Amino acid sequence: MTTDPTPSASPSLTRLIQELNKLPGVGPKSAQRLAYYVIRLPDLEAYALADAITAVKQSVIYCQECQNLTDSSPCAICADTQRDREILCVVEDPLDVLAVERTRCYRGLYHVLHGAISPLNGVGPEQLKIKELLARLNKDGITELVIATNPTLEGEATAMYIRRNLDRGKLMVTHLARGLPVGGSLEYSDEMTLSRAFQGRQELKAG
Amino acid sequence: MAPPRSYRTEALTLARSTLGEADLLITLYSRDRGKIRAVAKGARRSTSKLVGHLEPLTRVQLSLSMGRNLDIITQAQVLSNFNPLKENLAAITKGLYVAELVDGFGSEAQPNPAVYDLALDILEAIAGDSESELPLRFFELRLLLASGLMPELYDCVECRQPVVPGNHHFSPNVGGTLCLNCSPPEARIRPLSLRALKVLRLFHRSPSSKPPSLTVAPALAQELKTLLASTISYWLEKEIRSNSLMEHLQRESKSAV
Repeated sequence: MTTDPTPSASPSLTRLIQELNKLPGVGPKSAQRLAYYVIRLPDLEAYALADAITAVKQSVIYCQECQNLTDSSPCAICADTQRDREILCVVEDPLDVLAVERTRCYRGLYHVLHGAISPLNGVGPEQLKIKELLARLNKDGITELVIATNPTLEGEATAMYIRRNLDRGKLMVTHLARGLPVGGSLEYSDEMTLSRAFQGRQELKAG
Repeated sequence: MAPPRSYRTEALTLARSTLGEADLLITLYSRDRGKIRAVAKGARRSTSKLVGHLEPLTRVQLSLSMGRNLDIITQAQVLSNFNPLKENLAAITKGLYVAELVDGFGSEAQPNPAVYDLALDILEAIAGDSESELPLRFFELRLLLASGLMPELYDCVECRQPVVPGNHHFSPNVGGTLCLNCSPPEARIRPLSLRALKVLRLFHRSPSSKPPSLTVAPALAQELKTLLASTISYWLEKEIRSNSLMEHLQRESKSAV
């Protein structure tokens, strides 16, 4: 026999608490607080939340080109004819696309892997959109592949895996520079960051 | 006098996962405190002072303050980042396998310096030679030994007679070697060749926690891998996740040849 973890006079309220409890970082107490907050919301706001969840599940799909999340495939970036179609930037997550777009210094296309190789979390190459990337490189006229995975052990492992599965043709494979962050401090840098910053040092141009 | 609310320790970082908006939850194995799960506040921000020091497979000197549930990392300084290891995919995978086993066999607040020293020596060995799998077999056996779970290699676990040179059986769930005459009904029996038994005994008797330099035939390497993997999974009662990536890479390498 299962016991109800959140006894309540209202089965629908119990159901909402149980559903909220499934969200990452939301424990039983937070789920109860959120559920009571939803009850106190004006009807319109509560329905807008429910509608937003329904709409996102019904309309968001993977772009068939870059695998980013979008409402229509190809997505706005892939469909933009003004962008440089010879350069492709590989990122781990959709949020990384937004971060690169904010820089306004990259005008090429993207490919979203949806994660990085992380064996301890059960994520291997098969769980990522690597097969789609390799297929895309074979058919599209890409001349440069920028691997912009995170500079973490998992991100580096993913970059190495992609590199070893690429045909050594005319494709130039680059990765983002490693080094010190703006506003960072030499004193607190780890050896690897600092040594890579030295390896990637550049000529200081006269101002 | 109240006990101190902060402490310093040397540890190996095993894994990390995201926590909240910008924090990281770090799993560490400390030489004098055993397994520790601690929070690095704000470590996902690009200007974090901590993040570069807390990559998995790094030996670090840490200062921590005790929290109600999880301790908080206040300072971290890299002692060794096993650098060549992190520049090779096969070596990274092996390193993560070592980390997963240390995490699996380690317990919080139960230090085991032998496991700590062994893990560091094996990571050094992998950094020096990423091709050979034998250091991992040595690590598995010595980890079982240091954890008090060493399989019996000298006497039959059923009749208690010393095993004589020849082929034998091995069963992880009854505790090790069985002579050919003994087969307890509950035992999950695997064949154990004389050569495999000799290598296991060599690993057991090795005076150092550094793996001996040894080359074995592929069939023997596979036998050792199967024997030790079955023993490890018997004690951990779960699948070793990093194994699947290691096998995936090996399959790809073979198909590329």
